[in-house]
Amino acid sequence: MARAIVNPELCQGHTLCNFAAPDIFHLNDEDGHAFVVVDELTPEQVERARQAELGCPERAITVEE
Amino acid sequence: MASNDRVVVEFDQHNTEYRETYPAKAHELREQCPVVWSSKHDGFWVVTGHEVLSAISKRTDLLSNDHDPDGERNGYRGISIPERGTTRGGFIEMDPPEQSEYRRILNPFLSPAAVKVWDPFIADFTRACIDDVIETGRLDFVDDFANIVPAVLTMAMLGLPLADWEIYCEPAHMQVYTAPDSPNWDRMVDSTMRMVGRLAEYVQIRKTEPRPGMITALLNAKVMDEFLPDDGIIGTVSLLIGGGFDTTTSLLAGALDWLDAHPDERPRLVDDPRHLDLATEEFLRHFTPAQGGGRTITQDCEVAGFQFSAGDRMFLSYAMCNHDPASFPDPDDIVLDRFPNPHAAFGLGVHRCIGSNLARLDFKYMLREALRRMPDYRIDHAGKEQYESIGTINGFKHLPATFTPGRREGPPLAEVMADWQARLDAEPAPENLRAAEGAL
Repeated sequence: MARAIVNPELCQGHTLCNFAAPDIFHLNDEDGHAFVVVDELTPEQVERARQAELGCPERAITVEE
Repeated sequence: MASNDRVVVEFDQHNTEYRETYPAKAHELREQCPVVWSSKHDGFWVVTGHEVLSAISKRTDLLSNDHDPDGERNGYRGISIPERGTTRGGFIEMDPPEQSEYRRILNPFLSPAAVKVWDPFIADFTRACIDDVIETGRLDFVDDFANIVPAVLTMAMLGLPLADWEIYCEPAHMQVYTAPDSPNWDRMVDSTMRMVGRLAEYVQIRKTEPRPGMITALLNAKVMDEFLPDDGIIGTVSLLIGGGFDTTTSLLAGALDWLDAHPDERPRLVDDPRHLDLATEEFLRHFTPAQGGGRTITQDCEVAGFQFSAGDRMFLSYAMCNHDPASFPDPDDIVLDRFPNPHAAFGLGVHRCIGSNLARLDFKYMLREALRRMPDYRIDHAGKEQYESIGTINGFKHLPATFTPGRREGPPLAEVMADWQARLDAEPAPENLRAAEGAL
């Protein structure tokens, strides 16, 4: 099972994960910090979650397969 | 690295050489060491390597933004190198947990969801600025366009009179482009003091006349059961004006200047929103409008293999780290669809630019409209003028251009300003929590 994780200690609300994969990463209405809304990623989502992981300035995202 | 084998350079982010060679200077320094020691401005570390920046930026236990000109806590000199001003510059010159409290109050105004409500405002002012020049075939992209929309928007979000943007405009820009050794330094300090004085008056006015917006939110907020001190609020309002006025402006000017030489890149930015999203990050990375931030090391420590001492000053050069080839291949090329692009243009760590969501929204709309309505513009290079110093903000004083005249699409700026002021004035006043507690 593949899943994406946002480390809330590292996320600072840059929001780029939401640009890369809006169906996986949602943004808190108060501060824009990201959270994952998909329990299990499809193979297509894994690819975009990986893009979000690579694009995160705080390296707050990990994708586990 | 022991202090005796540190790589010593004479780097000054405010000097003409840096401006003229940006971003190439980054490579010259980084090839010596990703953290060098500059002997300028009483000595400071300069971080030019993206890996080191990432490692150190999250260490709020080791880095302080505090500015304590009166020596009440630690005597730290804040985020400007050399030190700037005799007062604290709002929450960006604070550390957590104090800094976090200010951001908690302001975040609801600046989150991705919250900034969306300003879409129609941005659209109206962008259109009106262009309309006011569209029939003439010439404009100054800074004076007639990029200066105005972000500034008026900042006024609106603070709850200040919209037309006052002009009073703050020149001081806000002077504050960032004046080099420490400039003959205009004293004039800049005077104009900043007058600006802060006027903002202080408005903070007092809002104590009895609350209006929707960030000033009233700051006045109504309590931290540990106490209202915030006036100087913290005034410093914060000055910070929001500085951040709101100059950064989006500079990003727009940089992008429009680059697109002058790359006209073939323009149509896709108008037609393809996903491409515009990526290009926005690339312009942010390359120009890095807010070039970096100063910090003070709070304790002797080792980070990423480098040793630092308590009290050392450090300049986190987001700009130079954004041109580190280890993280960004061909870093000096603008590759509009660059991905991944984990740039540090908004800073890294807890001080991430609080206005980043607004900046992106505003920038994308304004750039698209400029390219849609003036598709064949050419910069008049003889009239182009960069900031004296780009060490604080990498921007332009003037960026004149010509284009094939077009047709108006709506009423002029003055009318739009009056109309929006009336709409904002019609919104109900928030509760006045200070008055309710007799804490004016």
